[in-house]
Amino acid sequence: MKIGVMFPDVSGALMRHSATEKYPFQRQEVTARLRSLLKWNPEACTGCGLCAMDCPAEAIQVNVLDRKAKRFVFAYQVDRCAFCGQCVESCRQGALEMANDRWELAALNKEPFMLYFGDPDDIKAVLAAEPAGEAGIPADK
Amino acid sequence: MNWFFVLLSLMVFPGGLFLLAGGMAYEWVDRKMLAVFQNRAGPRWFQPLADTVKLLIKEEIIPDKVNAILFIGLPIAALAGGLTAALYVPVAGLTPVYSFPGDLIVTLYLLSLLTLCMGLAGANTLDRFSLIGATRTLTQVFSYEAPFLLAMLGPALVAGSWQISDINAYAGGHWLILTQPVGFIVAVIGFMGKLVMPPFDAPEAHTEIGAGALTEYSGRGLAFFHLAKAVELIVGLSLVSAFYLGGLATPLEFLVKTLALLFVLIGLQSLLTRMRIDQTVGMWWRYGTLVVLAQWLVIILVMRP
Amino acid sequence: MNTKQEPQRFVIPIGPQHPALKEPGNFQFTVDGEIVTKAFVRLGYAHRGIEKAAEERTWIQDLYLIERVCGICSHIHALAYCLAVEQLAHVEAPPRAQAIRVLVAELERIHSHFLWMGVSGHEAGFDTFFMYSWRDRERVMNILEKLTGNRVNYSANVLGGVKFDLDKEQIASIRSGIDFLEERTRHYLDVVATDFMFLQRTRGIGVMSRAQAEIMGAVGPTARASNVARDVRKDAPYAAYKEYPVDIILDERGDLEARFEVRLKELFESFYLIRKILDTLPGGELTARMPRKVPAGEAVMRVEAPRGELLYFIRSNGSDKPERLKIRTPTICNLTSVVKLAIGHQLADVPMILAGIDPCFSCNDRSVQIRTSSDPDGRMLSWDELRQHGIDFYKRLEK
Repeated sequence: MKIGVMFPDVSGALMRHSATEKYPFQRQEVTARLRSLLKWNPEACTGCGLCAMDCPAEAIQVNVLDRKAKRFVFAYQVDRCAFCGQCVESCRQGALEMANDRWELAALNKEPFMLYFGDPDDIKAVLAAEPAGEAGIPADK
Repeated sequence: MNWFFVLLSLMVFPGGLFLLAGGMAYEWVDRKMLAVFQNRAGPRWFQPLADTVKLLIKEEIIPDKVNAILFIGLPIAALAGGLTAALYVPVAGLTPVYSFPGDLIVTLYLLSLLTLCMGLAGANTLDRFSLIGATRTLTQVFSYEAPFLLAMLGPALVAGSWQISDINAYAGGHWLILTQPVGFIVAVIGFMGKLVMPPFDAPEAHTEIGAGALTEYSGRGLAFFHLAKAVELIVGLSLVSAFYLGGLATPLEFLVKTLALLFVLIGLQSLLTRMRIDQTVGMWWRYGTLVVLAQWLVIILVMRP
Repeated sequence: MNTKQEPQRFVIPIGPQHPALKEPGNFQFTVDGEIVTKAFVRLGYAHRGIEKAAEERTWIQDLYLIERVCGICSHIHALAYCLAVEQLAHVEAPPRAQAIRVLVAELERIHSHFLWMGVSGHEAGFDTFFMYSWRDRERVMNILEKLTGNRVNYSANVLGGVKFDLDKEQIASIRSGIDFLEERTRHYLDVVATDFMFLQRTRGIGVMSRAQAEIMGAVGPTARASNVARDVRKDAPYAAYKEYPVDIILDERGDLEARFEVRLKELFESFYLIRKILDTLPGGELTARMPRKVPAGEAVMRVEAPRGELLYFIRSNGSDKPERLKIRTPTICNLTSVVKLAIGHQLADVPMILAGIDPCFSCNDRSVQIRTSSDPDGRMLSWDELRQHGIDFYKRLEK
């Protein structure tokens, strides 16, 4: 039956640095496997669309303009993404990869959250073809 | 010009603003050292000031079916009690000019006024959490008050006077912590109970009853209770260290001794779990009172010849 | 005029918003002074319709939905789901994958118990204990981040295996992390078992006898602290628990102190198991081929979550979406014990008793079908009827 059993911790604390991380002056090191923003490699992609089918948050849409000429527009909605990594698993060509250092994604408007990858002319064509409003992703479901 | 100095000493230094600022500074030391003991960063130096300012600019909501005069008046009375008690205590190491024979009793009552006001404030509302908090506050007052008073009257007995400045002068020559160690321990622990510091924070146990007696308070009323607690911290520390730690003769002595005592209090706060209200009362009435009465017996027997 | 003095009776609502609760739930305790005389619990504040949502998503998408049933036990939910679906598809995940699954599950158990330790220290008013145990919890979360890529919601499972492998550097970091955590756990066990002031809040409080535990259906460490020897890892081993068996930790006293000690001693079992897995990790591949359309059938899977026995029932009709998914979490079994045990205790003990069962309200809000004698098949309400029902209910309460 003792009193103050945490005394060694408390007295040792005077000699220790505080365990608080003073963000943003101190940042934790990112680990190699951290799942942050998605990156798409157009060379390897075949436009099969398995990633879009398997995404639990329906954040990906693969617009196929010309499959033989490999003209794809990969539309990625970052604010829907749950960073689960299923798309990386599902892709049989290894065209998708999650960066491990793009985890500070806060923004003041919606612009940075709607990413289009592909040839700029193709992207314009896709945006023009969609009705006004959220391009590429259906409004519900 | 005399009235100018009177006003200055009451409002700015060493009363009024100095007390409020000093109280907030000591509260910061309390929170920062507690954080360091818990291995975290803690608030920056202006946090208590920022809290007070934020509370003062908020809207004060007076709940339904409450006595509005009491609701608004009790925080003011609590703060007034704390500030008035400082008139007789050697705050900042300066001799209190307004002292008169018997002011020890008045000071001790004024220091209890804060807790009584909090209890009444809780009983005033219809909120269930406040009522339980008020019951616990008043129960705790009945438990620690008697031993604390006896422990503070011990030095008065050996100094042969009921005037704080006399006891302060007497204690300057004798370190009463050495001759009355039990009284010192009871005074320190009783002071923790008075300030509702852990482990005696059952009246405002926020994981059980919200914020206890002050649940319904917001804005100005809460700011005043907050400030009253801060003022009581600095006044009570001065009183206990003046009596037991060899008197406060200079501002430097004041700073060193009160901060050392605060350090001990913070250490105790971080090491001990909160006690249930029945355990608090049981402990005080079983051990606290008996121990301090035994101390009194020793004092009386030694003083006989 | 009635001259008899009625004792003052209050109903203290703990929740849905209360500093004692980390998640919303409503407890109403009738107190007489400080003693609790009646208790009543009402749930449903964290209901999100996950079971229904699961029926609208494919099997692969459901995996990630299921992970988010709870933040602290996310891996074990996903594991139970994967095992049940693999059972339906007659697919066996390779041994290396099963071992890695168990490794992550035990790391999650460590994380959950450290979190719980801090929270119950906070409920008792022992903030130093809270801060130190949560500081150490950061260590296990960093290990999990190195291993899986995220601190919470690890997404380690895929249907048929796991997503990632272990390399030397990660194994080394797991080992050093476990060593640090084991030393800290020893210290916390010492604190919990010998600190006088803390024992005053836990010894002899919330005593549940073995018979009571069995009648009320308590599971997990709450039951094991009352000498009920039930642990799914031993009774019905799943994943790699056949190759890496665990010992059951029991305690006879049944009070809060026993629950603390059982959970802390379980941590030592977890440390031992993790070291054994790292030493004897089987070779092989990481995933097995899973069909996209799971064959029709029903599967029941029981796993040991950090809080107790977790049960999954999945029914498939041969398509690529589940037909019915039912989750029964351990907290809902343990809540009856809170309601029964709180009676006779002081109000100050009630948050401690609640923290003693390690409640996870977001886990336990599932839909329940109420059958009455007048409606033997239960009642189905349309959206408008449900809204009207709510309005009438609160109008009746006000009267």
